[in-house]
This record gives sequence, structure tokens and C-alpha cells, in this order.
Amino acid sequence: MNTKKLTQLGLLTTIALIIFIVELRIPNLAPIPGIKLGLANIVTVYAVYHCTAKETALILFTRIILGSIFGGNMLALFYSLGGGTLCLMGMLFLRKVIDEKHIWICSVLGAVMHNIGQISVAVVVMKTTAVISYLPFLLISGCMAGAFTGLTAQILISRVKLKKF
Amino acid sequence: MKNTKLWITAVVVIFIAAVVWCIIILTKPQGNIVTVTQDGKTLYTLDLSKEKDRRIKVEYDGRENVIEIKDGRIRMLEANCPDHTCINTGWLENVPIVCLPNKLAIEFSDKETDAIAR
Repeated sequence: MNTKKLTQLGLLTTIALIIFIVELRIPNLAPIPGIKLGLANIVTVYAVYHCTAKETALILFTRIILGSIFGGNMLALFYSLGGGTLCLMGMLFLRKVIDEKHIWICSVLGAVMHNIGQISVAVVVMKTTAVISYLPFLLISGCMAGAFTGLTAQILISRVKLKKF
Repeated sequence: MKNTKLWITAVVVIFIAAVVWCIIILTKPQGNIVTVTQDGKTLYTLDLSKEKDRRIKVEYDGRENVIEIKDGRIRMLEANCPDHTCINTGWLENVPIVCLPNKLAIEFSDKETDAIAR
């Protein structure tokens, strides 16, 4: 990994972290654990389409781990990791079948994978299936948030015309 | 792109399925039996129609939750976790009350078993 690459990945991670921390200030819309806008995933979606799988994973996991430390909510770390891993695998597969003009579809499906991951971790941690009742609510919010972050990433990519690194 | 329509359909199907699932959960009639589980163990099985108004303290790993039963309803009254999601859920309805940090869940039981109030 050369210096240029390192700087670019560092910048992307920083942008994601800043968005993540600003988003923590937005109060929860619904009393359901796990519902979030997930604006930081604009960077993830961008990275999926413009970086290699390894680089995207680096950006995502650095952001998740540092984000939980800065946000002071280490309990959420496992849920984010579970969701993030599944979401990443899903999107890395989807980028092969969905082109750049339809990033929002990839983003929505990624959000759905993220929700499934979160709930699976919750079932394991809580040792109860009660949390599965939250899944449909998470899916609805996830679809909307995913479409939003996906469209944002799409607009960003077409406007900024960042040089491919 | 070849498969775009297929993927858009998939997204729409998932969304509609989620909405339908929500409606099923929200309209499901509930009995009176409520279970309080923590870390996979059932702590209490309560029959709300027979319970007197009272408060139950549940401790976990040094943190505690206070469950309140009033007028045949149940809710999380206090919790010293950072997010307070369980308190904001309000009275127990069709969606279970879950306190993720303290691994506590309050939900309606599907089984119409005899209430064992401890």
C-alpha cells in the first residue's frame, strides 16, 4: 500500500467517522433499538464501488471500531460489526451484478443485509427470539435509509468525478 | 444493465414483505401472559389480568432495571443503561420491550400456560 493510497483511505475513514459522530446528535426517531439513518454508509457505498474489497473492509471496520470508542457506546459495537460484516459481503457480491448507475439498489440490499446481521447478533447475545419482532421495522427503516444513502453516494460520484485511485 | 429490473423487483418485494410482516405483528391479538427473560433465562411469567400493581427490580451485572405493572399493563420504568430505548418503548404492546445492554426482554407469551407469579 503506497502513501497515496494510505492517505486516500485515511481520508475516507475520517469523513465516515465525522458523519458518524455528527449523526449521533440526531435523536432516535422510533423507540426501536438499531434504527438509524446510517449516513456514514455513504462512504461505505462509495468505497464498495471505487476501492478493492480489502480496502473497503479496512475503511468500514476502522470506522465501526473507532466510532464506538468515540461515541462511547461499546455495547453497540457487536451489533454494528455483525451487521457491517454481512452488509459488506452482500454489497461486494452485488457490485458485480449491479452497475454504477444503480448504486441505490445495492445500498438498499446492503441495508437489508445489515439489519439481518444486527438481529442475528442480537438473538445470539440476548439468547431470546423476542428481538426478531423488531426485524420488519428495521427492514422498513433500513430500506428507506439505504435508498437515501445510496442516492447520496450516486449523486456524489456523478458530481465530484473523483479521480479513480 | 441486464438484471436491473430484477433487483428493483427484489427491493420492492422485500419492502412490501416487511410492511406486511409489521402489520401482522401489530394486529396480532395478545393474551395476558407476559414473560420476562434475561440472558436466555425466564425470570418471571406474569398474568397481567391477575397481577396487582407493583414494581419489580431486576439486576444484571451491577446495573438494574425497574419493571412497573399498573392496571394490567407492564412497562420498563427505570433503567440505568445509556440509551433508554426500553423506557421509550412505553407500555408493552405487540412489540416486545427489549433492553439490549442488560439483556432483558419483556414480551407476550404465545403459550397459554398457567401463570407462575414469583
